[in-house]
Amino acid sequence: MMPTRSPLVAMRAALALLLLAAGVPARGSDVPRTAAGHPDLNGVWQVLNEANWDLEPHVATQGAVETLGAIGAVAPGVGVVEGGRIPYLPTALPQRDANREHRRTEDPEAKCYLPGVPRATYLPHPFQIVQSDTDVLIVYQFAGAVRAIAMAGHRDAPVDSWMGWSNGRWEGDTLVVDVTGLNANWLDRSGNYASETRRVTERYTPVDANHVRYEATIEDPAVFSRPWTIRMPLYRRLEPDARLMDFKCVEFAEELMYGDLRRKEAP
Amino acid sequence: MVLLAATGSTGAIAHHSFAAEFDIDKPVDFRGKVIKVELINPHSWIHLEVTAADGSKETWMIEGGSPNQLLRKGFTKNSLPIGTELQVVGYQARDGAKRAVGRTLKLANGQSLFFETTPIPEPSR
Amino acid sequence: MRRLALLATTLLSAAAACFAAAPLPYQAPRTSWGDPVIEGVYTNNTNVPFERPAKLGNKAVYTAAEYAKRRNARAVVETTTVVTDVHYETADFGLDPDQSAMVTNPRTSILTQPANGRMPPLRPDAKARSDAARARQQEHAFDSAQDRPLQERCLLWAHEGPPLRPVGYNTLVRIAQSPGFVVLMTEMVHDARVIPIAKSRPDFGGLPRWQGNSWGHWEGQTLVIETTGISGKVNPRGSAVPMGPDGKVIEKITPTGPKTVRYEFLVSDPTLWDVSWGGEFPMEITDDPLLEYACHEGNYGLPNTLRGVREEEKARGRTR
Repeated sequence: MMPTRSPLVAMRAALALLLLAAGVPARGSDVPRTAAGHPDLNGVWQVLNEANWDLEPHVATQGAVETLGAIGAVAPGVGVVEGGRIPYLPTALPQRDANREHRRTEDPEAKCYLPGVPRATYLPHPFQIVQSDTDVLIVYQFAGAVRAIAMAGHRDAPVDSWMGWSNGRWEGDTLVVDVTGLNANWLDRSGNYASETRRVTERYTPVDANHVRYEATIEDPAVFSRPWTIRMPLYRRLEPDARLMDFKCVEFAEELMYGDLRRKEAP
Repeated sequence: MVLLAATGSTGAIAHHSFAAEFDIDKPVDFRGKVIKVELINPHSWIHLEVTAADGSKETWMIEGGSPNQLLRKGFTKNSLPIGTELQVVGYQARDGAKRAVGRTLKLANGQSLFFETTPIPEPSR
Repeated sequence: MRRLALLATTLLSAAAACFAAAPLPYQAPRTSWGDPVIEGVYTNNTNVPFERPAKLGNKAVYTAAEYAKRRNARAVVETTTVVTDVHYETADFGLDPDQSAMVTNPRTSILTQPANGRMPPLRPDAKARSDAARARQQEHAFDSAQDRPLQERCLLWAHEGPPLRPVGYNTLVRIAQSPGFVVLMTEMVHDARVIPIAKSRPDFGGLPRWQGNSWGHWEGQTLVIETTGISGKVNPRGSAVPMGPDGKVIEKITPTGPKTVRYEFLVSDPTLWDVSWGGEFPMEITDDPLLEYACHEGNYGLPNTLRGVREEEKARGRTR
């Protein structure tokens, strides 16, 4: 006969899950706090999922570069999109499909373009949240991308940019960041994309000292029929010497982008 | 207006990228209507629709400076409306493409596009 | 006895005068974790040249009268372009230093060491290596994207340092702080140096970085940053060869007022120079926002330059 868990353990687990779903830190959690009483999000963080391959649920498939064999293959993922599928407008799907077909040369990640929001969060690279008493800065290892989150003195984006314009505020223990002024960009390696009219609302809610619940809602009436949300845990990098290193990938993208302009000697 | 004809040059390429990108012997001087403004770095680009003498229309890309200081002084992406007529004096790309560095950018009334500057001396070689 | 009393009074008056004359150094507010507050977006825009004009010799600071005359003098911009070159007019875009507010600075140069405010010469052996490297580089200057300078490739700009220096336009610096870290970044090109605060140099695993491995500690109100391990892909000022294993940059940031800091730097490398060189400049908080300068993403100039050179070669029959 299978051993059964005590009902009390099951109830506690259910409660924790309920609280997690509601965005409330589990009771008795050890979320560090700043002097002002807000959650202290300082540290080096990274996701542990396949969202950057494809936000939607997907099986493993051949990669864009066959000569990389299994190393270049698309890892399978259960998906991070609430509701499963991204709600594209029918008129917007051909662009997604064209992106996917040409991803080897057209994926902005391959060209080392700044990844924008929310893709910067779930690239396979760590990022560091630098939170003072008043300001929040997020530094990403990929391409040295940086975002300053204005926690006061909110204003509109004066210009469009790759990493957007971020206005942040606390709602209880959740850091809510409104991002506007984003350039059109891809959302993953499978050609999912959004336009320059998109607005992204991020929510960072610490669960305990080493986990943050991350959500991003994307609103873009030019591409999608309604706003849609992705959700994933952020994990603290726990190695004692965890730190960002250089990934100035421009030098890795130059052959892809400019190799055809190399000087060839006359015969 | 008039597109000045290019003359050949066998001058040595200076070790300087602007002189390598654009040709001092291919001066351009024309008017065009703004069709796109790229407020980007390291250089901004203004795309113009230029009507040649024979009535045909061409699209030119004009290279300018970083827009960041303009943005800090209050310029926005809507400050240069599509359709604005600009006068451009500059130098065409060495590879013959319809691309030029805008030495001076003026509005149709002769006013400087962004800031009034002191008169520019003739280029020396 | 009266002489002694007179002497005592004189000494006391002199002491009182000393204390009255010496202003107390600025006491910066503290972060909640106890570090002096230096965070903010700063400008270091200036008309002070990096190197001192030779005719000024060892004169490090202008007198008040001299500074009053020259504080609005035109800046000499360090750039490879000249205004009469094939180039857009920088002033048309507000990119001349004189078109933006400058930070008060009565110095004659940013360099203060050596005493003449000018770069020391490279060691003869280093100069020979550097000249040879430069000649090789110029032979292949336009062969490929990878042969172009780091700046044109949007990889790293010289003013990003370390050490930092004013750069003529978009010359903004962001300082961010958190418990255990200080972050320095310049607007161009958005590279953020995340600097751990530690009691001694952390183990960086022997790995170089584009901007070196930095760590900092506070000495009173001064943040002292030491950087070693600058990558061999980067050449320091005045050299076409990189630093050696003992190359080091020391930076010091000290708050001097509610909106100002003093930035000091010292560069040393026994394989390149027989003496260290260094200097300082003030930075002032600006209300202007630091904007994204993405560079690589808009770098049409690099492929256009290569395309132009390839066309010229074709015209001369030098390539297929």
